[in-house]
Amino acid sequence: MCTRREFLTTTVTAAGAALSPRWAHAAPKAMTVVRESSFIKPFDDYFAKTLAMEYEKLTGIKIVYEAVSVGGMLTRLTTVAETKSGPEIVGTNLNWPWLFDQSLVDVSDLATEIGRKIGPWHDNVLDAVVVNKKWKALPWGNIGQLEVYRTDWFKEAGVTKFPDTWEDLLAAGRLLKKKGHPFGFELGHGFGDNHGWLYPLLWSHGGREVDKDGRTVLIDSDETAKAVDFCRRFFKETMLEDVLGWTDVNNNKAYFGEQISCTNNASSILVVAKRDFPEIASVTDHSLNPQGPKGRFHIMQAASHAIMTHAPDHAAAKAFLRWLYDDKQLSRWLAAGEAYYAPFLAAYENHPMWNPEPRYLPYKESLKTTRLHGWPGPPSHAMSESVAKYVLVDMFAKACQGESTKNVIATAAAQLKQIYKAK
Amino acid sequence: MAVGPASVVGPARLAARTARRRGVLEREGVFSWLMLAPGVAFLLAFVAYPFFYGIFLSLQDRRVASPGVFVGLANFVTLAQDPIFWQVTRNTFVYTTVATLLKILGGLAMALVINQHFRGRNLARAFLLLPFIVPTVLSTVAWMWILDPTFSVINWTLLQTGLVTQTFSWLGNATLAMVSIIGVNTWRGVPFYGITLLAGLQTISPDLYEAAAIDGASVTQRFWYITLPVLKPVLIIVTMFSVIFTFSDFQLPYVLTHGGPANATHLFATWAFDIGMSAGQLGMGAAVALAMLPALSLLIVALTLYLRRE
Amino acid sequence: MMAGGRGLGRRFLRLYLPLGFFLVAMLFPFYWMAITSIKPNRELYNPRIMPLIVHQPVLTHYVDLLDQTNFLTWTYNTLLVAVVTTVVSLVLGTMMAYPLARTNFPGAAIVAIGVAATYLVPQPLLFIPMSDIINRLDLGNTLSAVMLTYPTLLIPFCAWLLMGYFKSVPRELEEAARIDGASRFQAMVQIVLPLCTPGLLSAGIFAFTLAQNEFLYALIFLTKSDVRTVPVGAITELIRGDVFYWGQLMAAALLGSVPVAVIYSFFVDYYVAGLTAGSVKS
Repeated sequence: MCTRREFLTTTVTAAGAALSPRWAHAAPKAMTVVRESSFIKPFDDYFAKTLAMEYEKLTGIKIVYEAVSVGGMLTRLTTVAETKSGPEIVGTNLNWPWLFDQSLVDVSDLATEIGRKIGPWHDNVLDAVVVNKKWKALPWGNIGQLEVYRTDWFKEAGVTKFPDTWEDLLAAGRLLKKKGHPFGFELGHGFGDNHGWLYPLLWSHGGREVDKDGRTVLIDSDETAKAVDFCRRFFKETMLEDVLGWTDVNNNKAYFGEQISCTNNASSILVVAKRDFPEIASVTDHSLNPQGPKGRFHIMQAASHAIMTHAPDHAAAKAFLRWLYDDKQLSRWLAAGEAYYAPFLAAYENHPMWNPEPRYLPYKESLKTTRLHGWPGPPSHAMSESVAKYVLVDMFAKACQGESTKNVIATAAAQLKQIYKAK
Repeated sequence: MAVGPASVVGPARLAARTARRRGVLEREGVFSWLMLAPGVAFLLAFVAYPFFYGIFLSLQDRRVASPGVFVGLANFVTLAQDPIFWQVTRNTFVYTTVATLLKILGGLAMALVINQHFRGRNLARAFLLLPFIVPTVLSTVAWMWILDPTFSVINWTLLQTGLVTQTFSWLGNATLAMVSIIGVNTWRGVPFYGITLLAGLQTISPDLYEAAAIDGASVTQRFWYITLPVLKPVLIIVTMFSVIFTFSDFQLPYVLTHGGPANATHLFATWAFDIGMSAGQLGMGAAVALAMLPALSLLIVALTLYLRRE
Repeated sequence: MMAGGRGLGRRFLRLYLPLGFFLVAMLFPFYWMAITSIKPNRELYNPRIMPLIVHQPVLTHYVDLLDQTNFLTWTYNTLLVAVVTTVVSLVLGTMMAYPLARTNFPGAAIVAIGVAATYLVPQPLLFIPMSDIINRLDLGNTLSAVMLTYPTLLIPFCAWLLMGYFKSVPRELEEAARIDGASRFQAMVQIVLPLCTPGLLSAGIFAFTLAQNEFLYALIFLTKSDVRTVPVGAITELIRGDVFYWGQLMAAALLGSVPVAVIYSFFVDYYVAGLTAGSVKS
């Protein structure tokens, strides 16, 4: 009974709220920023405690920080956009500015301003955040995916320098597996550690999913076949069967369990190792992805802020981001992030955040060769579909399970043609 | 309660009116609908809109945060041509069938076991419910370790006891991954069957068994002719819901394998979620989710007719 | 009962062996959770040492869980939500099940099908329109949001399950009561419901468990730490990127479920009470 009464009262209040006029002209009392919880806890804390407090003191506007679990941000963003309610400022990644284009405020003016002060912006990030010539999000940094490896075991196997090409890495892996230290590269349905190396692998062999026009599917090529053949050998000769079922957490676990000698990951492994496993940390290092016959590539995951069009006061939201992306604030915040985020801004090339730990430097170096999933195709809905359906990952995974190169490519090509509505 | 009976001894007029009102209330249809009304209203308010919204979505080419375009049944046609859709369908049927059978057998066995007298029975009954009580996402996280090839205690035990020489890749091998998620689903579901059937067993009078035993019925006969008929209605209903929940299971495969390796453990719900949410194809996602409707509605209609006939 | 007491061997085969099997199979993962929650990280990640015992137990994960997260608030929220939704669902479910099981009226079959059909609405897609409703009611980030949505999952189940139990009560009992002057409602409350206590309890246990277990709606509707429930709070705050705080997650799983099991162990008595009250089935 009580719930029915409660239900009734809430219905009445809701109706009342709908009738009351919008308070469009007064400055908002509070704004909410929603982001995927950062892997680096101090980064979140610095935002929620230090920066938000400072801003409230300065302007009287309370900044509420809402953290969403990893993998949950897209769902949250979908709900926010579909119901046109909730947080004013949202975190975006990958190609989300394209997906949510119609729900995001144009922030070109801010981007230009920031670019003038602490830029210029790296060119390649424009792909991710500039939609139809309008900036829809402001990136604060890239979450890079690099090779993480055990220096001691590599040395034991006679490999003193991290291999520069995929073939050399395969050769090293063969030696290391024989010594009981296999590699562990995710080939399952995780969020990032799979695409993090499989797209670069494809690209560096010259393979492409789709052309710039977003209609011509290019996957069925000799270059792709080379990448697939390589992947099969790489898997069979250097890895464990498990990697086919891995999600993003598994390689961290296996690395800390000293089960694998090399993987592709963000810097989280080293960060946790420094905290909990100092002796592992002391023999861990990062390297750029190896290069293939057609160059060296990395995946782009541009962590950014965007403003929702449903926000009652766009100017207030912009004012907050202007303040946040001012060097005085951004610089401190990035430093709190322990170099986990590599900023796409030229002025931060020699930022002090890079000093404490030289092993993070490759993340900065990798920026120039980062590309968005599906590149060179446009970061459209179709691209998201290809990623969500794990077309590329499964193509490689099936090859590793023993299917023929021809078959797996044909399957992928058929899927991509359907996704990109190609002829 | 609005339909509360007034057994008040009052003035004659009031009594007469009460009697008349009671007369109306005693009519089968009136009574039934009065009882049904609050629940039906609640469900209509909160489920009907989303349900029709889902159907509406499935008929559109609807990308997230953009207006939709009506495409009729095009989404379903696309699905029918997608081999992965059929793989997902097969996975879902295998998962549901095997897990449900295991849960029925396991649950029945468990109910029969914990229906016996032994010391610490109540504690055992409650603790056997634990797999069902613990939040699924958290128990699944525990299973991630138990099934982890490197750290798996199962592998460790098998190796130590010398039963195997090579470890199993519980989640990396396509077949084993399906076996694993079925196993975890069964683990979570058996206690629910067990405790629900136990409640059914409790309604059977011990006299019946005694009488049957005197007549010379064997244990098996007693089970077939006394226990099972009494349990049947409850068993059927529990099975129906279990099938529905298993069919649309999401959390478990999502956390454990996310459909991998290479879609070997993708079910309707996880695949629909990936397409609807991760790819932002709300229309197509709704179509996938609705694709499970025919099979389930057949089941529901069949069971309703069966139960109404009883 | 069934155990005739013909020797210990028989009892062993029929009781202790299967009981032992079920206890091990069902509870082993809990043993695993328990030891994981007191293992220091370096031990957890060491595959070379015996994984089934804890070599150097620590309580840091529990301390961190209680100290650095809102775990107690989450527990309180979870219990509150579960209790309210269970009561609502049981009452409304009973009211629906009774006429559907025991009276014949036009439209009964349709209603019964319709009630079960609510499950055909796929949950992963339900939450967009559902969150629209919640927003219109201005209930975002309140526990009322989930208290209103959970019964949509629970009422149909309670109704259907209870239909089965109601059917097992002989009609004659109720008819006798009505001849003695009881109204339909009285016959239901005084005669049928007491006989179905075990059914009500299992429906209640189910509803309670599902409510405290639910993840998707809670994830979408409860986005502030202090209104979260245990599963959502734990997953959101104890998983950062690709790093899981295993010890704390397992501590949360145990603290979130074992007390409930202990409470259930008291309720389990009522199964037996239901039996003595209702040895009626002929």
